[in-house]
Amino acid sequence: MCSVGDDDFENDLQKVMPVIKNVILSETCNKCRARPPLVVLRSKDFYCKDCFLTGTTHKFRALLGKSRLIRPNDIVLVHHQIGHPSTALLHFLRSALDLSTPKKLQFKPVILFIDNQYHLTVKERLDILTAVEQEVNSFEFNLYFISFAKYIANPDSIEELITTHDLTISENDKDELDSLVKTKCSLTNKNDIKTLFQRQLLLDVARHLKCKFVFTPDISIDIASQLLSNVSLGRGSHISVDTGFCDDRDEIVKILKPLRLFDMKELALYNKFNKREPLCVRQPEINPYSSIQDLMKTFVNNLQSNFPATVTTIIKTGDKLTVEQTGLQICTLCKNVLSKATPQLRAEDSTNFSHLISTQIPDQSYSREERYLSLLDTFEKEEYGNKDLCYACYKISNHMMGY
Amino acid sequence: MPSCSTKCGRTAILKRPKTGDVLCKDCFFEAFENEIHFTITKAKLFTPNSTVAIAASGGKDSTVLAYILKLLNEKYNYQLKLLLLSIDEGITGYRDDSLETVKKNQEDYDMSLKVLSYKDLYGWTMDEIVAAIGRKNNCTFCGVFRRQALDRGAHLLKVDYLATGHNADDIAETVLMNILRGDLARLSRCTSIITDSGDGIPRVKPLKYCYEKEIVMYAYFRKLVYFSTECVFAPNAYRGHARVLLKDLEKIDPSVIMNIIQSGESIKVNQTVNMPTLTNCTRCGYVSSQEICKACVLLEGLNKGLPKLGIGKSSKVKRLLEEHSLKEKSISKNNCSNSNKTCENTIIDKDFQCLCLGKKESVQIDQLPLDKLTI
Repeated sequence: MCSVGDDDFENDLQKVMPVIKNVILSETCNKCRARPPLVVLRSKDFYCKDCFLTGTTHKFRALLGKSRLIRPNDIVLVHHQIGHPSTALLHFLRSALDLSTPKKLQFKPVILFIDNQYHLTVKERLDILTAVEQEVNSFEFNLYFISFAKYIANPDSIEELITTHDLTISENDKDELDSLVKTKCSLTNKNDIKTLFQRQLLLDVARHLKCKFVFTPDISIDIASQLLSNVSLGRGSHISVDTGFCDDRDEIVKILKPLRLFDMKELALYNKFNKREPLCVRQPEINPYSSIQDLMKTFVNNLQSNFPATVTTIIKTGDKLTVEQTGLQICTLCKNVLSKATPQLRAEDSTNFSHLISTQIPDQSYSREERYLSLLDTFEKEEYGNKDLCYACYKISNHMMGY
Repeated sequence: MPSCSTKCGRTAILKRPKTGDVLCKDCFFEAFENEIHFTITKAKLFTPNSTVAIAASGGKDSTVLAYILKLLNEKYNYQLKLLLLSIDEGITGYRDDSLETVKKNQEDYDMSLKVLSYKDLYGWTMDEIVAAIGRKNNCTFCGVFRRQALDRGAHLLKVDYLATGHNADDIAETVLMNILRGDLARLSRCTSIITDSGDGIPRVKPLKYCYEKEIVMYAYFRKLVYFSTECVFAPNAYRGHARVLLKDLEKIDPSVIMNIIQSGESIKVNQTVNMPTLTNCTRCGYVSSQEICKACVLLEGLNKGLPKLGIGKSSKVKRLLEEHSLKEKSISKNNCSNSNKTCENTIIDKDFQCLCLGKKESVQIDQLPLDKLTI
């Protein structure tokens, strides 16, 4: 049956996905209504340089302040990457720490750079390490390095792995990653596994450095595409911790996403006005159809350019979701709360039954009804999944070594 | 082709997108049918001795649904009385042809068929609506009217259940779309296998866990007659984004569809979030989240010559209606050029020309005799 229009919301099209109209330039800044505008955000808001910078800083401070999580003298581990978001984050922090007003930030950031750019040559990677060191030093922060590959090979010896300079890297680091997964593992699952390990790495380093918080440089588009990827991987019940402002799965260390409401344009302009040039790195050529995560990123990017409310709508949808009550059993891989067993039929049960029925030898000596009953009997006796893993982690665990 | 995964010895003819297993024709038939039986019994979709209306469009999903429900009803003794319910939107070159298919199904499956038309229910065919509104927002009318028409049909027929042919792809697509639109109310209920539209007749989706590809293959191998032409009023682009995305995702990994449904089923909305409350339309009594339901607003727009009334923000409806009544006062009676006399109808276009085509009766749905609706 035609399902177009089934949900009678085509008529809300303008409301939920307003199409970009031609921008009509305003004469004055939206905020101060005095100076001529220099920046256009969201294709409709005009700001002069001063109002833009004030607004951007306020946005950063407001999100941090609203959460009321960080106390004075807490140590915060900042996950540094290459690009505008990370450079802007360092600038936000440095300028907020240098204030002499009561608004001065009271916590102490330390910076962590993870060497994981394995599409580059060893020389390029070494150059990056030097450049990162210079960049972070220019902001006068303490910097630690860690190799992602070495962490995967030896996750229990953080103390030996983190270093403040001269990280040892080698051509073989890439192989270390591959040894984690079986040969038939798809890129989608590899990305998923990498994300899980990176999260664990950040937590382990944070604990070692006695940090109570971790800042990641994820911006709005990262959050929106991760949310959609989560849904596509069957991690729907974990959306609020995976993409929310605060990931409080770990009892000691909380992972915060202070840039989750910023878009790239805002941060790039922020860096430009502050005369900060982020580092550049040769990006690998990505085929959007090679993995679900890449496809989602491309999809959100394309939709956003035509419908500017896309990313905010997705993020706001995620913000209104929650997880099941805590205190239940935890998944050993992603550390999320496991869904309670429910008598209701779920997609998981249907897939398991389909697989069973597609692999059982039909005994033609019985009638069809009898065959079905015996199959149902087998289905109900069998244990599916792993009681220590969630739906999505169980699926990827089949592709991981050691599981 | 490799041999069938069930080790029955025959050569496989297809690879199942749902599980990756390969099956021969016979094993596929049995697996596909038993899976739907599994869904129906596990989710307790029907109670014995009830009447089920199958929403039949003549397309692949509803044809397969009707065929399988009849087959399972006999094989596993559900004790159901099955009948077909079709909606005639009045689209020349599309629905008239597909209704022929439904009539063929009726004969093949020996079920009674009721056809309700938009013309009978609302006084307008889709062809007339498109003539009034143009090709841009016509799917809005069709979708809103069809949903209500099916429920009204189910009510008229006094059935206990209304079964629709929504498949796994449809459901996954709806989950994605509701996230993109930020519609939490629909997001939390779109994966339910049984939904109640408020009038006591549950809608059930027995094909919820069936891949569209497998439905097509089943219909093909069973040689079922179905109608596969796209609607002549090309679908608009809205669902398109989610549909294209889902097809791309399926190419990367077909199990994504089940993952999305699994996610949709386990999503939990924060209780502090304000959700729209469902009430009944003050005009027609149909369940709605607004004071006046969308169908009534759209119908009023059509009848008042303001076809765009229900398109866009609901908050604008009142203002538009007020403006319209002011205009109406300025021309106290509509001098109808078609019937050469003063027309009782208020169906006029923006230039205040009567659109009644000479004669137009307003239709009261509840007074329609049931036999008038039967073919």
